[in-house]
Amino acid sequence: MRTVARGFAIALAVALAACGGAGSTGTTSSNSYQGKTIQLGAILSITGAGGVYGPSSQKGMDLAVEKINGSGGVNGAKISLDTKDDASDKAQSAQVAQTLIQQGQLLALLGPTLSNSAVAVHPLAESFKIPILAVSTTGIHIVPDCNFPKTDPCKYVFRDSLGEESAIPTNIKVYSDAKHPKTGVLMVANDDKFSSDGGKIVQNTVGSYGIQLLDTVQFSKTTADFATPVTKAVQKKPDVIFITSLGGIPAKIMIEARKQGFTGQFLGGNGFNTAVVSKQAGDAGKGAESGSAWYINNTFASNAGFVQAYRAKYSADPDQFAAQGYAAILVLADAAKRANLTFSDTAGDRTKLRDAMESVNIDTPLGRFQFTSNHDVKQTIWVIQMDGNGGFTLVKSVTPS
Amino acid sequence: MTQQVLNAIFIGSIYALFAVGYTLVFGVLDVLNLAHSAVFMLGAVVTYSLVALHGMPFLPAAVIAILVCGLLGLLIEFVALRPLRRRNAPPISALISTIGLALIFVAIVEQATSGSLFSWLWQDGANSVRFPTGTVPNPTYHVGGLTIEGTKLGILIISVVLMLVLGYVMRFTQVGRALRAVAENRRAATLLGINVDRIFASTLFVSSALGGLAGLLFGLALSDISPYIGRDQVELKGLAVIVLGGMGSIPGAVLGGYLLGLIEVFAFVRFGSNVEAGVAFAALFLVLVLRPQGLFGARLRERL
Repeated sequence: MRTVARGFAIALAVALAACGGAGSTGTTSSNSYQGKTIQLGAILSITGAGGVYGPSSQKGMDLAVEKINGSGGVNGAKISLDTKDDASDKAQSAQVAQTLIQQGQLLALLGPTLSNSAVAVHPLAESFKIPILAVSTTGIHIVPDCNFPKTDPCKYVFRDSLGEESAIPTNIKVYSDAKHPKTGVLMVANDDKFSSDGGKIVQNTVGSYGIQLLDTVQFSKTTADFATPVTKAVQKKPDVIFITSLGGIPAKIMIEARKQGFTGQFLGGNGFNTAVVSKQAGDAGKGAESGSAWYINNTFASNAGFVQAYRAKYSADPDQFAAQGYAAILVLADAAKRANLTFSDTAGDRTKLRDAMESVNIDTPLGRFQFTSNHDVKQTIWVIQMDGNGGFTLVKSVTPS
Repeated sequence: MTQQVLNAIFIGSIYALFAVGYTLVFGVLDVLNLAHSAVFMLGAVVTYSLVALHGMPFLPAAVIAILVCGLLGLLIEFVALRPLRRRNAPPISALISTIGLALIFVAIVEQATSGSLFSWLWQDGANSVRFPTGTVPNPTYHVGGLTIEGTKLGILIISVVLMLVLGYVMRFTQVGRALRAVAENRRAATLLGINVDRIFASTLFVSSALGGLAGLLFGLALSDISPYIGRDQVELKGLAVIVLGGMGSIPGAVLGGYLLGLIEVFAFVRFGSNVEAGVAFAALFLVLVLRPQGLFGARLRERL
């Protein structure tokens, strides 16, 4: 009796599966999307050290969701975005990701804001086979291996934020080609992944441009008074001070170094690229150069439209993190549009979305956007400098080979 | 090296000013007021708010901010400390309730953006800002390869003068004598006709006003004002300073502040940042082992 029942159950399951399969192949039109919701979750650092970046990402994402839903959605399906704050804390970030994943309905995740937290969150998403798109993490080993102790790349982890491995060397090359500096000192926060990764990249790059690194001054990201580390750096009289750190720290270092009479150049990475940092640095930051994923004054349509809409909604200028957040939603929407989603089989839909993400090729505020085979962003790098008034000017654009 | 000594003396005076408020409350109430770091932060935030958002000149803004912080001290006393004291709750409860207040103060600031409920106070969320350039004239002198900033020099002088005044008040005035009487024995002080509750309230007021002053000077001199300056940058160090100097001892807190500044800077210059905090706290550990009452802590009876 039991075997009969089991046989019946299997037959039923097979029949249902067959129907499901037939159903999904039958609806290649957009009709199946009508009235449905594409649920996304974002893990961002709204408070804590990453609170300099997270709120910008969130504003960019919200703007993109609003724009897409306002113009008919994705083949008629609406996007809903659930954003959670991880307080810039690695453990809390993993906790938040777990909660979002366990809701069971999300098609994809975005974030987390900090590379430090990504180390915990990305492997989690990979093991649950849910696509995750990093929107601001720039450290090394974010893609493709998502810090897994294994050799094959992570299949579900993507990144739309320009890595420091691309941004910093490009920035150093552009400055060296123009000014031929001879010596430098690196100032690096050694208790943060983003910062120490950036420091390693500087150390590995300067030699190729004939810059002698006179010293590496390490400090803690909780340093109160930067006079001490800055004195150590300035006394070496370098042509360039490289700063790889985040939050308000680059600004504080610049202010202190100028007070102590340093007249050379500041070079850095993504930590320079917000108006907040430029504003805090003020005069002291004027001329500081960094490689950026985005430049506000680019006039191509996909950026001009974004900047205009952002100003209209928030009465403030967007920054790089807002542009990357905005681009992330465009990327996911484009992938969702082509992924032939069923809206009934969440696990299957997640895989379909992942596959579609690999072939994204669209215009975004960052420029023409594609993923490399390693799921990293492939885009133009904009080398920018602080203008001393909280803004930036373009030095040079470098297109990827 | 001389420059680094100057750096150490300067950061030491901020530590000292912060720690004096801490130690005052501990000495009189036997309670660690862990909301002190949040008041420190608000000292900077309120001044910034008045100057940058409401267009006030720096000096009146600073005075108002110091008064606001003093009033916050009263809030701490009435909300977090007095109700517990009435119930004879153990000191640990008071410690926890002050942590609670600190979290609330920090959360109010970090959540405030333009358009939010507290946008009149703060609009920059978790960001770090600085006073608009030129808020306070900051002549910078370069003497024999040394950089001396006007603001930092001013802060050093303010700190020293204030601590001398406080020391004088504690030792030679009626209020100071009453404070010390309460610190020594609450019940005996009550029997002598001292209004203990009033002493507690005024202690919190003065301590918090000093904390607020330390905060605004920190924000001014280090170009760093954010919801986290108290928690991340002075809270633990302030604790270290008062343990180093002797819990409850005002001269101890002052000298402990300068000592910690010096130890930190020398550890940084000599060994780098990996051991900077390590050396500072190793010194603290040594003091605890060799001289548990702290460097300047007299016998418990004679503190303050």
